[in-house]
Amino acid sequence: MHPCGRPSSGRWGGRRRGRDTTPPPGSVFVEPIAKEDWKVFRGDTVQVLAGKDAGKQGMVTQVVRARNWVVVEGLNTHYRYVNRTAKYTGTYIASEAPLLLSQISLVDPEDRKPTEVEWRYTEEGERVRVSLRSGRIIPLPLQQRRDGIVPEQWIDGPKDTAVEDALDKTYLPSLKTFEEEIMDAMGIVETRRPKKSYWY
Amino acid sequence: VLFFLSYINLVKVEPLHQLKFLHTTLSRRGLEEFFDDPRNWGEKTVKSGDAWNIKQLRGKSSEDLHKLWYVLLKEKNMLLTLEQESKRQLRPMPSPERLEKVEKSMKNIDLVVREREIALRLLQTGHEKPVPGEWRHDFLGRTYWYTYKEWPIPWYLNKRHKRKKFYYLPHVNHFIRLRLEKSLRRRARRQNLERTRRKVLERKFPHLAIKSQSQ
Repeated sequence: MHPCGRPSSGRWGGRRRGRDTTPPPGSVFVEPIAKEDWKVFRGDTVQVLAGKDAGKQGMVTQVVRARNWVVVEGLNTHYRYVNRTAKYTGTYIASEAPLLLSQISLVDPEDRKPTEVEWRYTEEGERVRVSLRSGRIIPLPLQQRRDGIVPEQWIDGPKDTAVEDALDKTYLPSLKTFEEEIMDAMGIVETRRPKKSYWY
Repeated sequence: VLFFLSYINLVKVEPLHQLKFLHTTLSRRGLEEFFDDPRNWGEKTVKSGDAWNIKQLRGKSSEDLHKLWYVLLKEKNMLLTLEQESKRQLRPMPSPERLEKVEKSMKNIDLVVREREIALRLLQTGHEKPVPGEWRHDFLGRTYWYTYKEWPIPWYLNKRHKRKKFYYLPHVNHFIRLRLEKSLRRRARRQNLERTRRKVLERKFPHLAIKSQSQ
């Protein structure tokens, strides 16, 4: 194990290239894109404009906003060995390399051709992505929960609260503190007086 | 895990002249609450719902929050016993995300109660913080927020408090000046770095330079 968190500082021997290499701090320049201007999400269909698989379309599997990276399924692949042990060379698999936002373009849903996209507001006030060439709305991909739960198919367990009970509003604002309200509810009467203390 | 519930304690006491033999059992009411539902024992995963949202908790009365806090506390105790037992038996804990959900819910309840307390205090006194305080110097010339503490004796009788110095002597001014110079140097270095990085970005992405010119 290296004392610093970096893969190989070259202190003892050569510098390993390829896997798990982090660039030295301050050497990476990322085009600053505002959070609201981000257009590509996981599950979107995009077309690759440059690189080995230029012209092909694929679904986005991962987005790394810090580096403006997009990983498309099955495209821009290189091959490597995984699960290597001392005796076994490992499985030869294709792994996707990330693509920059400038090498990617969102695809018109009906045309299935790459277009420029802009964020605009609909008549109802909803913020949607509109393709500039045809004016069609590109719908946002379905956002699944990280724990894999689908709220529509959920059945409550014995320790879960029902939806109506959870959303039921029982709060009545009053000029009593939390402690005073609890004391009233439980019938606790405090007759002791606090001893004189000094604050400084 | 199971041995705990089935253990029955029989205590024999030496009889005095009047007393008969005394049998006592360990009170084991409610210890089953430290353990999960017996149907979940041995499972690899246990289904659990979402944590309590702050928006849902803000609509609950103090009584409800009070009850929910203790329900969550007992659930947390159960999950912690489960975690410790799985560590002891060197097995993975089934569904550890339940612990995170319970802790998140308890933190949310605490936040809601604190929000209501701050609101009431602002109305009645105009102060946000529960404990008063002020900006003071320490003996090294640094300025910091001193919070008042509750003491049983007044300040003129408190020997330990009188030893604390909230002022600095004139010889410290030299070091204050050095500290100021250091902070100015760090700020200048940070601003220069930002400026050079911005120049590099404008060289790599020319559209940023045009946008900054138009603004």
